[in-house]
Amino acid sequence: MLLTLKTNTAALLLTASLFAARTSAQTPKLSLDAYPAEIRNDLARPYENVRVHPDDPNAVGSLARVFQAWEQWETAHEMYTRAITLAPTSFDWHYLDACVLERLARPHDAVAHLRDALKIRPEYVAARVRLADALLSAGQLGESRTIFAALVREPKAEPLGLFGLGRILAAEGKHEEAVQAIQQALALFPEWGAAHYSLALSLRALGRRDEAQQALQRHVQYGTRWPGVPDPVLSSVSDLRNDSAARFRRARSLADQGDLNGAITEFESVLADDKSSALAHSSLVKLYGRTGNWAKADEHYRAAVALGSGLAELHYDYGVLLGLQQKWDEAQDAYRRAIAVNPVYPEAHNNLGQILERNRQFEAALGEYRSAASDRPTFRLARLNVGRMLIALGRLDEAITELQKITQPRDAEAPRYLFALSTAYVRAGRKDEGIRWANDARQLALHYGDTALAAAIERDLALIR
Amino acid sequence: MRLLSFFSLFLWLPALAGSTLQLPPQGGSHGIFVESAAAIGLNFTHITGATGQYYVAEEMGAGVALFDYDNDGDLDVFLVQGGPLDGKPPADTAGYPTSRLFRNDVTKGPDGKPRLHFTDVTTQAGVALRAYGMGAAVGDYDNDGDLDLFVTSFGPETLFRNNGNGTFTDVTKEAGVSDLLWSTSAAFFDFDRDGDLDLFVANYLDFTIAGNKKCTDTAGAPDYCGPRNYHPVPDRLYRNDGNGQFTDITESSGVSRADGAGLGVVAGDYNNDGWLDVYVANDATPNQLWMNRHDGTFVDEGPLSGSALNAAGNPEGSMGIASGDFDADGDEDLFVTNIIGETFVLYKNDGAGNFEDARVQTGLGPLTTAVTGFGTDWFDYDNDSWLDLFIANGAVNAIESQRGQPNPFKMKNQLFHNAGNGRFVDASSLGGPAFEHAEISRGAAFGDIDNDGDTDIVVTTNGGPVRLLINQGTPGNHWIEVALQDSPRNRFGFGARIGIERTGKPTLWRRVHTDGSYLSASDLRVHAGLGPSATIDAIVVQWVDGTRERWTKVATDQLVTLKRGTGQTEKR
Repeated sequence: MLLTLKTNTAALLLTASLFAARTSAQTPKLSLDAYPAEIRNDLARPYENVRVHPDDPNAVGSLARVFQAWEQWETAHEMYTRAITLAPTSFDWHYLDACVLERLARPHDAVAHLRDALKIRPEYVAARVRLADALLSAGQLGESRTIFAALVREPKAEPLGLFGLGRILAAEGKHEEAVQAIQQALALFPEWGAAHYSLALSLRALGRRDEAQQALQRHVQYGTRWPGVPDPVLSSVSDLRNDSAARFRRARSLADQGDLNGAITEFESVLADDKSSALAHSSLVKLYGRTGNWAKADEHYRAAVALGSGLAELHYDYGVLLGLQQKWDEAQDAYRRAIAVNPVYPEAHNNLGQILERNRQFEAALGEYRSAASDRPTFRLARLNVGRMLIALGRLDEAITELQKITQPRDAEAPRYLFALSTAYVRAGRKDEGIRWANDARQLALHYGDTALAAAIERDLALIR
Repeated sequence: MRLLSFFSLFLWLPALAGSTLQLPPQGGSHGIFVESAAAIGLNFTHITGATGQYYVAEEMGAGVALFDYDNDGDLDVFLVQGGPLDGKPPADTAGYPTSRLFRNDVTKGPDGKPRLHFTDVTTQAGVALRAYGMGAAVGDYDNDGDLDLFVTSFGPETLFRNNGNGTFTDVTKEAGVSDLLWSTSAAFFDFDRDGDLDLFVANYLDFTIAGNKKCTDTAGAPDYCGPRNYHPVPDRLYRNDGNGQFTDITESSGVSRADGAGLGVVAGDYNNDGWLDVYVANDATPNQLWMNRHDGTFVDEGPLSGSALNAAGNPEGSMGIASGDFDADGDEDLFVTNIIGETFVLYKNDGAGNFEDARVQTGLGPLTTAVTGFGTDWFDYDNDSWLDLFIANGAVNAIESQRGQPNPFKMKNQLFHNAGNGRFVDASSLGGPAFEHAEISRGAAFGDIDNDGDTDIVVTTNGGPVRLLINQGTPGNHWIEVALQDSPRNRFGFGARIGIERTGKPTLWRRVHTDGSYLSASDLRVHAGLGPSATIDAIVVQWVDGTRERWTKVATDQLVTLKRGTGQTEKR
């Protein structure tokens, strides 16, 4: 094998044959020159270890893990193949190679390695789930059913087992039974978007379209949430990375989870290594804004602008931040800068409209709200604002037309829109229709538990009557 | 694009490995197709304008239109061009490259075989469009008996009216069919059955040059951003007012009620109610199935129909669409190309607009795990009567094994043979040398370019030369091609369904269309392979307004033109 590796110190000039040629799986010829310095740095130590111990499966496997962590799938697979040759009974190398082969779109080979891995550690739940899923997707329902049925008895994997059984029943056309199994899975993990989607399709097949629609709404609500099972072997791979890209991802994940200070720390560490990361500065503008640290947010905004960042989001976030500080004129400027970068920016148009509305520039505000609604027709808040402005301008028929567009879907947001529509009707002198829509809005608000809005509507209704 | 899910990676069928499915004998000694673009004058190289900024628009284009612009009976080629992306309006930039129109001058040689030659007629035709072009759509919007051309772009769209004398006029402004959104694929179709062609335009993302984001691959190297880095922009539906003008009815039609990063669009009747619906392939957002409610409005039935998401309920990175009756059961099935790792999907229609994800049982899943697909369509390359598939592939993110090479996005195109039993087998190795060469393919248009009774393909290359795949034919199999004439409206019968009735065999239903694929427009004439049988019982045409006509005693191995009112009227 020929490896060439560049390091910052150029200390490693590794062009010699590292591995003995006697093994059946030859380690491939590698050229690492094209890799960025961060990868080469991470590779240096495990690579040196392989150089010293070319027949040590742990050394080879560890190098493979670094390639996997950096998503260099082809090289990782070749290294795992070598490690497996050296240590055929190691669970980790079979299992991790299976994970890599999935990413290489070689599922047939992945299943073979999952089977091998499970011969070594049959109790490893994450590998069993992967194998059962793979077999189900391949149409091998019998073997998949056996594994899923066994997983139902594993507390951590019970919902996955039930969902798997439900999908098998659906594939067999037994939708009544499929619905039962999926509903059992959902009882254990109610926020499972994929299960709600499968449930919807089985309900559709049974002709229960209304229930199917409701299941679809829950699917949209919960998205990609999925009950995971512990997978320490795979987690150990992702933990290997501590480069700026990995820290960036961790920071975003922390922010998504609501750990703002943790996210700030990660982003600041990214900037400590690379002060030119406009994305990190931009993210910190938002995060410091959310924590109320205006000075730091301002500092990062200016740093990003100085870098020549063309990020529309940067200006938008800064506008929001200024708005929170009631610096309306400066916020207006920031939104206009965002729109200059990206003219199709509905949130920026909407927020700009709100500032113009504050300044009682109703026509201009209406124009911005209309732009927001045109840029993203599903942006119901923008449409509400169009309707509100039209009411304010006394253009009541237009307001009614606009607000009628957002009476569907009848979700938790809808009561506000229905209430606005009722207002337009009443002001247009169409009192009966206004009362009807207001009643509808009140009932829907109560349905979604928004008692404050329901009470406000009730007060208005009392005045109208 | 960029979507990888645990679910999708496992959509395969190991039992099919080393499948027992047999490929038919092939016609040409050098493969089914011979690539011959440059040799016959189709000289065109797409320009991405890439300068190392990784603008996402660079990697998406461009398309091609195959249409008979001069009504001389053969297919001409319009190729959409890109150009520099520096934020300046291309139309105002002297020397900016233009899209090109090539006239087909096919003749018959002394041996009776076609001799192809193309002539660049861009300037004289008046279609030297300076724009960062994306795709093309074809239809006779003004019902004057010649085909007009609509060009989408990263920037404003352009409508060229065919003057009927070999020239075009830019009528975009008066027609009212342009905005600044980044448009991709478009489809002409008569959704309201009033006899003129309306227009659906798929729009993609809110990317701008000024708002370009810096993205990297997992190794930290600069790379193209995925669709999730930007926001989808709304599609547009324009109603043809019959007077040369269109009205934007996106709002009133309900089409504005769902977001999506549109890349592919096709119009077909998916619930067999006689009204044309619209299917939109969206990138990383749910695909949409806009069902026609017969009152000028549409409702998105995509998720509930089972044609919007994968088995895990996740949207896929959808690009191109093929819509056709692959299993000869009388309804339109949908094949959608996706990004690497997801597999391409075949949504099998139950006839009522409910779809089953059939990528596993058809064998298409395992054949497409490792590729990113764009242009595609159903077509019967070997005239055995079953609809096969061609897919133009090319990556959108750097391929690891091509690291260090210029443009490390190359993939091989694919040809899948329909075995007639609901399964497909990879026939790419029989396709000829063109299928052994990896490129960054994007658009694909299908049609009988040399008028010899089989379907040829034009494939565009992102940042590379156009490819013309001439079908060498399959001896022993028969065929028929059908063109429609209606008058005075919808002159070419857009959207009509043509049924080829055969004794003891299922009727072959084909749709009169130019839409589908990716950024491209295909031959309007309907082509059907007939296998070894040289006879058919009848041709049934179901016109867009719901009426049916039947023609009997139609000879095969020829192009027939069916004029409305000359057949036997049927009640449906």
